[in-house]
Parts: sequence; structure tokens; C-alpha cells
Amino acid sequence: MAAIGISGLVKRFGAVTAIEALDLNVGAGEFFTLLGPSGCGKTTLLRIIAGFERQNAGDLHVAGRLANDIPAHRRDMGMVFQNYAIFPHMSVFDNVAYGLTQRKFKQREIEAKVSRALELVRLEGYGRRFPDQLSGGQKQRVVLARALVIEPQVLLMDEPLSALDAKVRVGLRRDIRLVQQQLGITTLYVTHDQEEALVVSDRIMVMEAGEIRQLGSPREVYEDPANLFVATFIGTSNLLGGRVDRSAGGSVVLAQGARLDLPDLQAADGTELRLALRPEHLTVLDDGPVAGGLVVLEGVVELVSYLGSQSRIAVRIPGVAEVVEVEAPSAAPASASPPGRAVRLGFRPESAFLFAAANGERVR
Amino acid sequence: MAAPAGSRLLDLWTVLTLAALAVLAIFVLWPLANVFTASFYGEFSRSFGLENYATFFGSGYFRRALWHSLFTSAMGTLLALALGLPLAVIAARYDFRGKATLRVLVLLSLISPPFIGAYAWIMLLGRQGLVTQALAEIGIALPTIYGAPGIILVTALNLYPLVFLLVHGALLRIDRSLEEASLGLGRTRFQTFRSITLPLTLPAMATGALLVFLGVLSDFGTPALLGENYPVLATLAFTLFLSEIGGNPAMASTTSVVLVTVALVLILLQRWVASRRNYASDAINRPEILRMTGWQLLIFPAFAWGLMAIANLPLAIIVYTSFLETSGPVFLQSFSLDSYRQVFHLVRGAIVNSFAFSGMALALIVVVGSVVGYIISRRDTTLTRVLDTALMIPYVIPGTVLGIGFITAFNQPPIWITGTVAIIVAAYFIRRLPYMVRACASYVYQIDRSVEEASINLGAPPARTFMKIMLPLMAPGILAGAVLAWVEVINELSATVVLYTGTTSTMPIATYSQVLAGSYGPAAAVASLLILATTLSLVLFTVIGGSDRELTV
Repeated sequence: MAAIGISGLVKRFGAVTAIEALDLNVGAGEFFTLLGPSGCGKTTLLRIIAGFERQNAGDLHVAGRLANDIPAHRRDMGMVFQNYAIFPHMSVFDNVAYGLTQRKFKQREIEAKVSRALELVRLEGYGRRFPDQLSGGQKQRVVLARALVIEPQVLLMDEPLSALDAKVRVGLRRDIRLVQQQLGITTLYVTHDQEEALVVSDRIMVMEAGEIRQLGSPREVYEDPANLFVATFIGTSNLLGGRVDRSAGGSVVLAQGARLDLPDLQAADGTELRLALRPEHLTVLDDGPVAGGLVVLEGVVELVSYLGSQSRIAVRIPGVAEVVEVEAPSAAPASASPPGRAVRLGFRPESAFLFAAANGERVR
Repeated sequence: MAAPAGSRLLDLWTVLTLAALAVLAIFVLWPLANVFTASFYGEFSRSFGLENYATFFGSGYFRRALWHSLFTSAMGTLLALALGLPLAVIAARYDFRGKATLRVLVLLSLISPPFIGAYAWIMLLGRQGLVTQALAEIGIALPTIYGAPGIILVTALNLYPLVFLLVHGALLRIDRSLEEASLGLGRTRFQTFRSITLPLTLPAMATGALLVFLGVLSDFGTPALLGENYPVLATLAFTLFLSEIGGNPAMASTTSVVLVTVALVLILLQRWVASRRNYASDAINRPEILRMTGWQLLIFPAFAWGLMAIANLPLAIIVYTSFLETSGPVFLQSFSLDSYRQVFHLVRGAIVNSFAFSGMALALIVVVGSVVGYIISRRDTTLTRVLDTALMIPYVIPGTVLGIGFITAFNQPPIWITGTVAIIVAAYFIRRLPYMVRACASYVYQIDRSVEEASINLGAPPARTFMKIMLPLMAPGILAGAVLAWVEVINELSATVVLYTGTTSTMPIATYSQVLAGSYGPAAAVASLLILATTLSLVLFTVIGGSDRELTV
């Protein structure tokens, strides 16, 4: 049985439709991420589930029970907010105990539960501190403990890491994932950070303009994007224009001139295409002969960005609107290219994602 | 579709919003509607029409009162700007000793009611004034303080703090980098001040100026004591009402409507200015504090402390003279507690009343104001927007007009409370409720909505969330609102003077009638008690709330 079931859900704000006829099932114990750019409806969906907003149509089931009419304070869901929402006038202990006091637990039980929860988020001994004595990361841990201590049916997290520094963010997202696996709690996680989504999730729902663009495991959405939006929103994609043309050998001709042969291409001749290439699928070729089957693009180095062990090389290719980005080990000679040097890039045709230019749908 | 999720939550706040609107309808709209209607029933013909307005604008007497009101308000505003602006710049931008003391003194001159200032200036510069007589002995005749000059002087010295507080706040909120950018682009410090700093404080300046204008316009005490043969709208409405009582309050109502109209135009103008030019930004880097150099070292402190001395002189004079032996309006040279003995004997009731009425009104203001302040800043519905706008009305209505409205509305069933304690408490409550609402709302705006949602999410129903989370976080706002409301309520004169009867007199009424009766000693003693009550609450506020808080309107 699904922990959360959503069917035909619609949410409008005045004339604006935030969510369009959405169906969704989240399994028990799953770490489920709603990913999308701001304004895509992901936070609205989370707030509907929490009971802070009311849908215009459709049903919400929690653990098999219709939850549409349950007020927010009886939904039994722990929520972690973007900007902490820590109660500034209460100690760490009182913050975490808040939901337990409301549930009329005995004082001894409360103390035991709170100290276990603080241990879980690695804040043992912080009970008597006040929020203004905590760092951002610590505040977010308190709030996580506060949400978990009531043993909710579902944990809801609304961009919980976006207010934190990069380093704290990486540490905390690992902790969140570990705690979630340890407790086996169904978790709905909202973020606009695709890297974060890839790292923590069991499944990711990519949203745009209130609709689902793709739903799948992190590996699926990265390695097998369903459409141009997902290919560009998750990870880096280099985009090349092209057209289906089976007239003279091969099946695709790129706007820049190269030809590709893709026998399994599902599109009629003349279809305008967008071709997406991950940086790791492109290699900088040396001056020697080109290995068989590689498609070659010729261009000029515009900028080399040093990223540590890897470097990212931006190459300007005539006939391609955006610069093409390639990754190479920093030790490789290509990473020492001065701007202006002519380079040849190669890729295997089967590594490319192809989308119909008209609607962005995947054609190969 | 079923009722919205958390419909009980919506219901609670909707019910409270409707209740608040009902209170405003009964205690603001109904009295005003009475005054408004009465102004259209002819003074002589008793028929519905514009007869009274024809009388008003056709008679030089009424037109003069309107002109007097506009003139004193405009000149008072100009003087307040001339005093408040330089002081704000000096205090906000210069390395100036005693800023904390300065702030307290500024607040003190704001919160002491203008009629006390008026009375003190009469004692100094009036016909039998100390200064007047001292100078007369050496052959110098001072220009008269009665009429326009006195009203302008007293109200400006009382209200310049509004300009100071707003502009001072705005100056501190200008991010340092803006001015540094201008300096970096080659402008001199003075050019930068003129082209960057001053324009950025313009909205605050405009708001301050309009608040001062409104303050002078609605003031009753100052023109009542200093006006003599110089009627303004507020005093005129009162005199007309007293002479017309029992008959037809036609011209008093007409005068009131003219007064309210002027005030309303001003407040709309202020809202328009505020909405059009709002550069609100929280300074990340507070502005640089400059060192005073050359002539500044002499002029700036002299100006600031000179102004403090003059603006707070009335308080010192009153407290001092309250301990002098008197004979009618003449102060004798020896100290005595006679004035206080007389006061405790004669007007003990007024003292008790003042604290009782103000306490009751304050309790109502705190309870209703904090809930309403929360509602208008959190629940954005058509109803709450109506409530927000309706709350501006009691703020704009001069006390005299509200008093006249109360008497005409509540001297018959269903609400027959004229002459009772209830009518005075109701007037205090409704006049100062907006202070509390504003103070609370400004704090609620600073509390992130998700804090409240977190509490609901953890299982606390809306009402409990309000008590456990919102009220403690709003506490500083409630305290600020309560102090401000208390100070205003205990010093209230303009509505009380219309509403009181023999048994419901208050300290301001006692002061006012003692001054009019020429008993300057007892007047000084009651006024001193008022000053004490006022100052104590300010001290209390500073101690509890921390000195950093700003009292703003």
C-alpha cells in the first residue's frame, strides 16, 4: 500500500494553475524527491500534503485514508522548512519537545524521546542551548529532530538545505539520508538542486510548470532523460541543432555539418532535432588519426576552468549557438590549452540523446 | 467539494475579524455617520440639504477658523521640520556624545501632551509669565504668545520628534555602500548627501511632515489654552457643540466634517507618498559615523542640547512650580506642598478616574489589538483588508469630533452610555487601538510564517499556536504598543473634554480646568502627576524592552 496516494490533483491560485491533474504514489519507506525550478509547483504540492494549502480538485490519501479534510494540525506529518522555522524563544529541548507536549506525553517519556532524537541528529548535550547560539546547520538538525521525534507517518522537507553553506549542505544531506534509512520513514523532499536530488533520493519526480516531466530513479533521470527539459535541468548537457536526413548515408545531419548514423532513430525525415551530449561523453582528440565511429566537431578553445582533478574546457564551434563544454583530466595536455587554440572534439553517436525540436520529446 | 481543509482554523479568524469590524462599525462608523448626517440638517430650517455648508463657507468667522487651522498646521509642520531634520542628521551621522540621553529627551518631549506644554509656555511667556515680567521690568516687551505664534511654537516643539524619529531611522537604514559608491564616483560628501542621502530619506520626511500636520490639526488642548480669540476648527467644533447641546448640533457637526475631510485628504496623501516612494532596505552596513570638525564642534552640540532644553523646559517648569506656594495665578517665592494637598483634596476623584479609565482601556487595547494586529498581518482576505483600512479612521478622527459623535450616537437606546464611565473607556479604547494593532503587526511581519506552520504541523491547533508561539514572539511589539497607548490615553484631553461629567473627570481635565480658572498651583501639581505617570512608563519600557527599540507611530 502506498504511503501517499495522489489522484487527479489540481491547484489553482486565481487564474494561475500551479498543479495540473497530477497522479502520484509514494511507497512506504521511500525517499521521494520533488525536483524542479522555482515556480514549478513542487512546494505547493508539499504544502497541500501538509495541509497548509487546499487543492481545487483531486484526492490525497495517506496510508490508505482519505486525508482531504484532515486539518493541518492533525495530519501527523513532520515538516522541515527552508528557513528553519525554529521557535526562537524556546531552548533546543523545548523545540524538540513541542510536538510531544502537544501529544500529552509524560515528562519522563518526553525527556527520553528528546534525548534519543538529539542523539540521532548528533546534537546530544545541546538541549539547554537557545537557537541564537546555534549555527545554521545545527538549527536545521534541531528542526529535523523536532519533526522526527513525534514519529510521524511522513517526513516532509521543503528545501531544507538551501539556506546553508555548501560544505554544511553536503554533510547534512548525507546525515538526512542516513537517518531516513535508519528509521525507514517515508520522506518527501523538495529541492531545486539537481545534484542534491541525485544524491539522496530513491526516486525523483522532475516537475515543470505544475506537470510531471519524468519520474524515476536518479540513474534513470540522469542516464535516460525522457525529454529535453530533464536532459538540461539535470546535469550539464551540450545542445546541438540537427535534422533527420536519411538521403545521403547516416540518418542525422547536424546543423554544424557532421553526420551521424543512428539506425534506431524513431523520427521521420525532415524532423528538426536537438541533440544533447554530456560533457563526459565528449573527448578532446589529439592530432593523430580518429578512431572509427567517432563523430568529430571542430572548434576553438574559449575558456578553460580548473576544477581540481578535472578541468572544464569551453569550446566555440561554428554553427553551434552555445559553447560546448568538455571535461578532461587537469593533467591532460588539452587542459593547458590557451584560448584561441583550434581543437577537435569527438563523441560516439550512441551516447547522444536526441529530442524533437518541436516538443522536446525524446526520439532516441 | 467539502469545506476547505482546516476550515475550523479559517472560521476562528473569520469570526474574530467580523467581531472587530462590528466593534469599529459601532464605535467609529455609527458616531461618524451621526455627525455626518447632522451636518446636513439645516441649523435653522431643520431640513436636509447643504444649508450648513453654505453657512460655513459663507461666513468669514467659519472660514477664518478653517484658515487658522491650515495656517497653524502648515507653519507648525515647517518649524518641526526645521528642528527635527538637522537633529536627525546630527544624531544619525556624527560622532556625537550622549546620543542615548538625547533619544530619551526627544521621546519625553513627544509623549508629554501639548496642553501641558501650552500651559508651561503661558507660565513663561504669557501675560503674567515669568520671562515676560522679568523682561518687562527692564523695558522689553515680548510679542504675544497667544494665538497663532504660541500654537505653532508649542505644537512644533511637541511634534518635531515625529520628524526626528522617522528621518533618523531612515538615515540609519541607508546602506553605507550607496554613499561610498557615490564618493567613489567622484562626488564630494556634500554632493553625495544632496543627491543620494536626502532623496532616500524623502519618504520618511514626507510621512513625518504629514503626521505633524495631522497632529497640529487635531490638537485641542493647545489652541484651547493659547487660542483665546483665535479659533481653530477643533476648538470651534467644541464650543459650538457645548452651546448647541440639547438643541441641534448642526454647525458643530459641519465644522467636524470639514475638519475630518482635511485630515482624510492628508492621510490619503501620506499613504500615496509612502506607496509611491519606498526605498525600504535593511542596511547591511550601517552608515559611517563622521567626526565633527571645526564649526561643527560648536554648532551641532549647541543646536541639539539647546533644542532639548527648550523642548523639555515646560516639563521642568511645571514640576518646579508645582512645589511653589501660590496665590491664584501668582507664584510666590517659597516652596510648599500646598498645591499637592489641594489637588489630593479637590480632585482625588480625577486622579483615581484617570488610572482606572486608562487601565481599563489599556486592557481592552492589549487584548483586542494583539489579535487584530495578528489578523491583519497574517490573514490576507478582503475582510481583513477592510479591517486594516477601517482602523485608519479612528487614527485620523480628531478627539473632539469623536467625542461629539459619541454623544450624538450613544445618548439613546440601544446604546445609552452618555455620561458614564463606559463612554470614556470606549473612546480611549477605539482612539488608541490602531497604535497597538500597528505595533503588533510590524512584529508579526518579521516573524516567518513557517514558524507558525511548524507549530501547527507538530499538532498545535491555530488558537494554541497563537498563544504558545505568536504571542511570546509579538511581546516586544505588544509592549511598545501598550506604552504608547498608555501614554496617549492617560493624557487624553480632546475627547474627554466633550464626554466627561462631574463624576468622570480625569487628570488632564483637572489640569485644563484649573488653568482656565487661574489656579496655576494645583494645575501644576496635577500636570506633574501626569508627567510622572508618563515618564515612569517610558522608563519601564526602556528597562524592559532594551534601549534599542524605537517608539514609532
